[in-house]
Amino acid sequence: MAAPVPPGAPRPGANARQQSPHPNFNPNFQTNPNSLADNMQNMNLNRPHSMPNSGPRPSPFGQPPPFPQSSVTAGFPVASPPMSRPGPPPGMVGRPAVIPAGPPQTTLPANVPPGRPVGLPVSHPPPFGSRPPPASLSSSTGGVVLPSSAFPSSGVSSASAAPPPSGARPSSFVSSSPLTGGPAGPMSRAPAGPSSNGPPAVGAGALPGAPRFPPAAIVSQPPVGPPPSMMSARAPAQAPTMRSVLGSSAVSSPQTPPLPSASSPFPAMTQARPPPLGSPYGPQTWSMQPQQGTQPPHIPGSTHAQPPRMFGMPQQALPNQAMTNIPPAMGQPGAPMSGSSKIDPNQIPRPIPNATPIVYETRHGNSANPPPPATSDYIVRDTGNCSPRYMRCTINQIPCTADLLTTSAMQLALLVQPMALPHPSEDPIQVVDFGESGPVRCSRCKGYINPFMKFIDQGRKFICNLCGFTDDTPRDYHCNLGPDGRRRDADERPELCRGTVEFVASKEYMVRDPMPAVYFFLIDVSMNAVQTGATAAACSAINQVISDLPEGTRTLVGIATFDSTIHFYNLKRALQQPLMLIVPDIQDVYTPLETDVIVQLSECRQHLELLLENIPTMFQTSTTAESCFGAAIKAAFLAMKSTGGKLLVFQSGKFSCTYSTFAVLEFLPSVGIGALSSREAEGRTNISASEKEAHKLLQPADKILKTMAIEFAEYQVCVDVFVTTQTYVDIASISVIPRTTGGQVYYYYPFSAVSDPAKLYNDLRWNITRPQGFEAVMRVRCSQGIQVQDYSGNFCKRIPTDVDLAGIDCDKCILVTLKHDDKLQDGSECGFQCALLYTTVYGQRRIRVTNLSLPCTNMLSNLFRSADLDTQFTCFLKQAAIEIPTCPLLQVRDHVTNLCINILLSYRKFCATVSSTGQLILPEALKLLPLYTLALIKSRGLRNDGRIDDRSFWFNYVSSLSTPLAIPLVYPRMFAIHNVDSKDGDESVLPPTIPLSSEHVCDDGIYLLENGEDALIYFGSSVDSSILQQLFGFTSVDEVPTQFVMQQFSNPLSKNFNDVVNVIRQQRCSYLRFTLCKKGDPSGMLFVSCMVEDKNANGPSYVEFLVHIHRQIQMKMS
Amino acid sequence: MSEMANMDPEGIDAIRMTWNVWPRTKVEASKCVIPLAASIAPIRPHTDIPMLPYAPLRCKTCSAVLNAFARVDFMAKIWICPFCYQRNHFPPHYAMISETNLPGELYPQYTTVQYALQSFPDPNNSNAPQLPPVFVFVLDTCMIEEELEFVKSAMKQAIGLLPEHALVGFVSFGTQVQVHELGFSDMSKVYVFRGSKEISKEQVLEQLGLGSAGRRPTVGYLKVLQNGYTNTGVNRFLLPASDCEYTLDTLLDELQTDQWPVQAGHRASRCTGVALSVSAGLLAACLPGTGARIIALVGGPCTEGPGTIVSKDLSEPVRSHKDLDKDAAPYFKKAVKFYDSLAKQLVSQGHVLDLFASALDQVGIAEMKVAVERTGGLVVLAESFGHSVFKDSFKRVFEDGEHSLGLCFNGMLEINCSKDIKIQGVIGPCTSLEKKGPNVGDTVIGEGNTTAWKMCGLNKSTSLTVLFDLSSTERSNVPGAANSQFYLQFLTSYQDPEGKTMLRVTTVTRQWVDSTVSSEELLRGFDQETAAVVMARITSLKMETEEGFDATRWLDRNLIRLCSKFGDYRKDDPSSFTLNPCFSLFPQFMFNLRRSQFVQVFNNSPDETAYFRMLLNRENITNAAVMIQPSLISYSFNSLPQPALLDVASISADRILLLDSYFSIVVFHGMTIAQWRNMGYQNQPEHRAFAELLQAPQADAQMIIQERFPVPRLVVCDQHGSQARFLLAKLNPSATYNNSSDIAAGSDIIFTDDVSLQVFFEHLQRLAVQS
Repeated sequence: MAAPVPPGAPRPGANARQQSPHPNFNPNFQTNPNSLADNMQNMNLNRPHSMPNSGPRPSPFGQPPPFPQSSVTAGFPVASPPMSRPGPPPGMVGRPAVIPAGPPQTTLPANVPPGRPVGLPVSHPPPFGSRPPPASLSSSTGGVVLPSSAFPSSGVSSASAAPPPSGARPSSFVSSSPLTGGPAGPMSRAPAGPSSNGPPAVGAGALPGAPRFPPAAIVSQPPVGPPPSMMSARAPAQAPTMRSVLGSSAVSSPQTPPLPSASSPFPAMTQARPPPLGSPYGPQTWSMQPQQGTQPPHIPGSTHAQPPRMFGMPQQALPNQAMTNIPPAMGQPGAPMSGSSKIDPNQIPRPIPNATPIVYETRHGNSANPPPPATSDYIVRDTGNCSPRYMRCTINQIPCTADLLTTSAMQLALLVQPMALPHPSEDPIQVVDFGESGPVRCSRCKGYINPFMKFIDQGRKFICNLCGFTDDTPRDYHCNLGPDGRRRDADERPELCRGTVEFVASKEYMVRDPMPAVYFFLIDVSMNAVQTGATAAACSAINQVISDLPEGTRTLVGIATFDSTIHFYNLKRALQQPLMLIVPDIQDVYTPLETDVIVQLSECRQHLELLLENIPTMFQTSTTAESCFGAAIKAAFLAMKSTGGKLLVFQSGKFSCTYSTFAVLEFLPSVGIGALSSREAEGRTNISASEKEAHKLLQPADKILKTMAIEFAEYQVCVDVFVTTQTYVDIASISVIPRTTGGQVYYYYPFSAVSDPAKLYNDLRWNITRPQGFEAVMRVRCSQGIQVQDYSGNFCKRIPTDVDLAGIDCDKCILVTLKHDDKLQDGSECGFQCALLYTTVYGQRRIRVTNLSLPCTNMLSNLFRSADLDTQFTCFLKQAAIEIPTCPLLQVRDHVTNLCINILLSYRKFCATVSSTGQLILPEALKLLPLYTLALIKSRGLRNDGRIDDRSFWFNYVSSLSTPLAIPLVYPRMFAIHNVDSKDGDESVLPPTIPLSSEHVCDDGIYLLENGEDALIYFGSSVDSSILQQLFGFTSVDEVPTQFVMQQFSNPLSKNFNDVVNVIRQQRCSYLRFTLCKKGDPSGMLFVSCMVEDKNANGPSYVEFLVHIHRQIQMKMS
Repeated sequence: MSEMANMDPEGIDAIRMTWNVWPRTKVEASKCVIPLAASIAPIRPHTDIPMLPYAPLRCKTCSAVLNAFARVDFMAKIWICPFCYQRNHFPPHYAMISETNLPGELYPQYTTVQYALQSFPDPNNSNAPQLPPVFVFVLDTCMIEEELEFVKSAMKQAIGLLPEHALVGFVSFGTQVQVHELGFSDMSKVYVFRGSKEISKEQVLEQLGLGSAGRRPTVGYLKVLQNGYTNTGVNRFLLPASDCEYTLDTLLDELQTDQWPVQAGHRASRCTGVALSVSAGLLAACLPGTGARIIALVGGPCTEGPGTIVSKDLSEPVRSHKDLDKDAAPYFKKAVKFYDSLAKQLVSQGHVLDLFASALDQVGIAEMKVAVERTGGLVVLAESFGHSVFKDSFKRVFEDGEHSLGLCFNGMLEINCSKDIKIQGVIGPCTSLEKKGPNVGDTVIGEGNTTAWKMCGLNKSTSLTVLFDLSSTERSNVPGAANSQFYLQFLTSYQDPEGKTMLRVTTVTRQWVDSTVSSEELLRGFDQETAAVVMARITSLKMETEEGFDATRWLDRNLIRLCSKFGDYRKDDPSSFTLNPCFSLFPQFMFNLRRSQFVQVFNNSPDETAYFRMLLNRENITNAAVMIQPSLISYSFNSLPQPALLDVASISADRILLLDSYFSIVVFHGMTIAQWRNMGYQNQPEHRAFAELLQAPQADAQMIIQERFPVPRLVVCDQHGSQARFLLAKLNPSATYNNSSDIAAGSDIIFTDDVSLQVFFEHLQRLAVQS
């Protein structure tokens, strides 16, 4: 296959390492796809026409601001020297400002009169002009919260702190400099000056470690009072640093890098404040773009030791959070409304990616450390709580009462990804073997021993942190307590000091011997599949992937093909050639052999290879149009029933057969068939006409597949379906099976024999080689007062408390919603424990226990401050996906919007101190919520115009989607690639991201947009032909082919482009499916539809949406 | 012992009748005790039968074929049908007919003639190619390796023997049925059907991809002719033997015993029923009119799916006669019903089921009998696939040449008979076609209610027993010569092994006699051997079909009635009883019949009984008589080989006996002979005579074996040896342990309480003369 980049690192397991002592495959070893910051940077690009990426863009403030900004901008010549301006230290600075009192808010500049801010402690920044260091401020405030951006920002900030190098690009500049010289100063200070926004004080406290930067949050604490930043205002003066960034993003600024810069900024801030009003600059002049994303990671994986910064969470300390005010155009949506202002699109909150990995300790000083954004790059040190990769909560403090939670309008839920891929620099999960007796557990709730169980009475008893019961310590587990009340051996025992450990399961956890690793491949060979090349692609992919399967006698494989009948193959070595066994009775299928259909890989490798080579030709002349998907998987299931295992189905034909098949069982055949054909017809026409019908099509056609799926799950058969098709295949029905059995659907539509085989291979390879487990059971236990309400994801649930996972892998995430059944004690901690009992591919039975203990609070403001944007949004996303098949789309969209509005409303009502209704005030932590919500509304799954199958795929894909991938799915990353060669050598491979707005897309540019699954390459209409030639080998946009295969040409541009793609692939663990888009083509429309900030048929522009939200809040307030 | 060659009691017509002279009335007929019946061998070859290369002339009212008994008016070119007296004109091409220029069928000696017909009466295409015969092998794989090897090699040999153009299909089965697609060249490919589920013909066709398209004869007909054979896709499964021999060899080499696990204490799961259904379904895709055989090689009882005869649990034995009697065989009726429907399907397709069962346990022949017999299939029961009974018989099926069975397909028998004669039915390998007519009898025996029968498969030796009755209406006893003769005409059309369609017409005439006037004539027309065989067949039939039928009593009563009617005696004086020589052998036949495996079923398994009866019904009279009353030949120094009494007294220390009981041939060495042989005298030149004596019975045994199908089991034993029981069981127990004092030296005794022939006769005489 062409240049396949393995999506993930090779399975560690297989390789040498694994063999070693711990056969356990720890995912850890794997190379981690670096998760780069997924965040999109938010750029302040002002109409960047001219320079797309380069950093400093003068932002002409377009419309609004009375402020000089515009002028400023103007002043600046385009890109070039961004730095010139002594910008206020960008975001960072701003961030820190925490306002003790009220939640600080950053206001959007628009309406607010400048004066306001001043007075208020918390203040809302005056509209634009007023606030001096608006950005900074805001950010600072914001900073508190760890917005996803926080991380990165910190880095940035630091950078910013440093004197701006002359560097032309802000970004580079920023990034590079971070810690270095510049920082030093600030750092030290930081700690010192708590008062200031500076990160320091608190931070320092929190992190003894000192050298690290205090987290942004900390910074913010300072009561300084700086009002929440206003967006606009930016005091130029103050900003010692010049973060152009900040400036630019008035709004955004908040999020920007809190930390580092913070230190310096502070001062500014303070000052800024007052003056702000006047400050002409306002905002923006600096158009720089903070492209922090680019920064080269400081910490290469190796450097664990001293990661430059810690991600500290000051939060606890800080009472408030900052908020960004969005100065909305007041009442009116129309920007111009209040004469005062319009919203500056460049200043509204946008995600800012972080650059370098941060080291994050899960607990600090015996309290939980709020995790960095899921989409950022971080390295976890497990100090008692689990890595947030495994489990994270929507709110990092648990409301003591259900009422409090209801008031906040937020959801309380956990996102659990028990086998998530760790960062390569993280320590592997430790395996603990308690021998035959098995792990120590609470005798009442059966919770597993964990660091939060409290040992008392000289260690003779322990109190369960989950149910509160006092158990006797097993004699051979007894240990005396030290002076600190901990067991003396606590630090030596992983289960007592680590949030995540893995126990070796004893006999009592097995109902049978651990199952072998069974891989059964089922390939569609109907006429259509063969002719479109799908069969050949599948065979070739399988053939290549065989060598990646674990070695040894425990690995069993089987293969079958199907069209209107099912063909099994006897691969026994004794035979001269494989024997094809056809099961023709698809009404009522069965397996054609008890043995020999699934054989040890080592015994049949040659036969298998031969067979895979032959299959495409063997069926070349097939004229069978139907493919009996349902019957085929049922038959394959029967063959696997005794062991369980993975069933990998390559389906491309029409799905029809199944229905007629099963219909016969239950109904009159004609009814079944008839019903089907109409369904098919409707599916083909992509009906969007009647919503009602659409629902039906989004639901499985009948219950038979569901029943089957449950049976599969019961026998531990995990099904993955690779749909390679050119037509409607009824994903809604097909996906029931993977969803129930812990598998997933891969969707290649329209399948291209040219470009898709590589992806198919890589998807398959990752599917097989990624860390995974079989025959798993998972349960989440919570401390008293909280209980699990429901689980959702790809699994089968037979009893309410457990989920059964025929297969679980590192990419699967489960949403666990929680509810109160009692009050919690303020100041106490609430524990969550996820236990996953599973069998490794090497046949060991293990229990992976993941613990998270979070503080409880009675303060609403704490909730907002500790809200986890990524998790909350993922939760939204998944819930919306659940509703899609049963509710009209309009209703789903409204629901999503209302969730967003209600949270903001609650915040506005109970936490914000702003009195004017003229400002939209966002909690710092959730300031991107509106943007993501908007993106969600416009996403493929919630749009009206999508194909039925696309929508089905979308909501099924979402159901198991992990948090880090959820955001890019709706708010993809966009990069410019026509100038990927122009960056400096020391930066990270990825170019800066660009906001998803068409105003940032130039006609002479080429852009790459990726959401973790698909990638669009967009060609402007007047792209330089030499660039085209260098990157793609053709010279005119007219020659853009419909199908694309990555190629590397020998020029730096092409090399860089390939590097970029490969980095993205690694990050996403996905090979990406490329689509080439050309302006003026239907493909171009596809690209345009991804510009979520634009106004289009599917929804308002970002600005309009903010206005809409604001109005809604206003209405509800009054 | 080729009696046929020597005596040929059946002659050119291959017909033997119980009575060669018939009483005129139904009442009289019933007084004759032994029913009016004819045993016919419809296609027995005979050198004197003329082959006529044209179509026969048929009477326009009764459709009887022109025959030697028709009266012909050469001037008017008219012939008068002897059955209905209809006057028929000769068609124009008979214009040359004259007293000196007779067509073959009018020669008086040619009472049997054979017409060669076109396979398809297609006026447009007179050169229609013949359809090649089809052989579908259905192989059980639930057996031990060794047996499987035997049967594989037998199959390979058989395939080598098939004519090159014959189409071959292969189905193997165990827990599931595997239909091998021999025409798939890329790799071995099989269709697998589940064994537990009954499957209809339509399902089989659809699932094999032979769906309805093209199966309708009207559609496919012409194309077929163009292709040589069907265009329905069935040639994926059925390939000319020459094309697939290699494939099949390879396939057989790789074929393993059934891989599904068998629980300890359980029988293998074997779905014979479904396998046969599927094979029948596969053949349904062939064109109508194709001659096809399903050759089932079965190694054990069906335990899975339809046709199951016993559960898998070994603690439950396969049903015995006792179970059947007591209705304690839970699977029996269902299985019979299943095979009955299979038989119907096969008959409607015109295909044959052959059953080769080799197992120590029963395999369910009793249940499958209906399918085999109705389709005219062959059946062989052996203990092992390695045994010569199977091996040699199986080979015989496919062998060409002198001893070939002459397997023919798609036979149809029609019978025309004179007015007042009714046909009650036919016993033997055929199926009633339910063709009604004036000659159909009111009571039905065997396959009745018709004047036409289908014989999907038939061969040279196939025999049928036709049972007649007389019209109950008092005839207007028209005096006159015309009425003194009656006629029977048997028309048998069939496809010969080369695929040509033939029609054999046998017309016979017999005399009416007024038995009230002259019983002498009637007596002379009695055929004891035929009568015995017909009685045996009827008895078997009644035992199978009539609940609580007491065969022994029924036979005894009839024998007594017969003796009362035809014996000479004074009332109540047993000693005065004498029997006309024409009847003299009959009582002994009855005595042996009573003791035979046909009546004394309890010594045998239901499978064996079914097997014996099927052969009894399909063999000619001579062979059937041997089944009832074995022949015994004695070899000694003193005399030429000579028939010996079937009596224990025939055993002598210095004799060798050769017993032919049809199913087994026993060479029995007297004690002295055995001793001599053991001492090796036969190897010494001076004792050549002894060597020859030893050799003679062996040679005779081989002769019998060669001609017989199925090949009998050869038992060579010595007096007092354990195998001697095969002989002793058949002998009249004139000497038992009860009267062992008065036996000749060197003879033997039989440990039994059975009555001896002498005792039987005494009783018979006494009862016959009772008033």
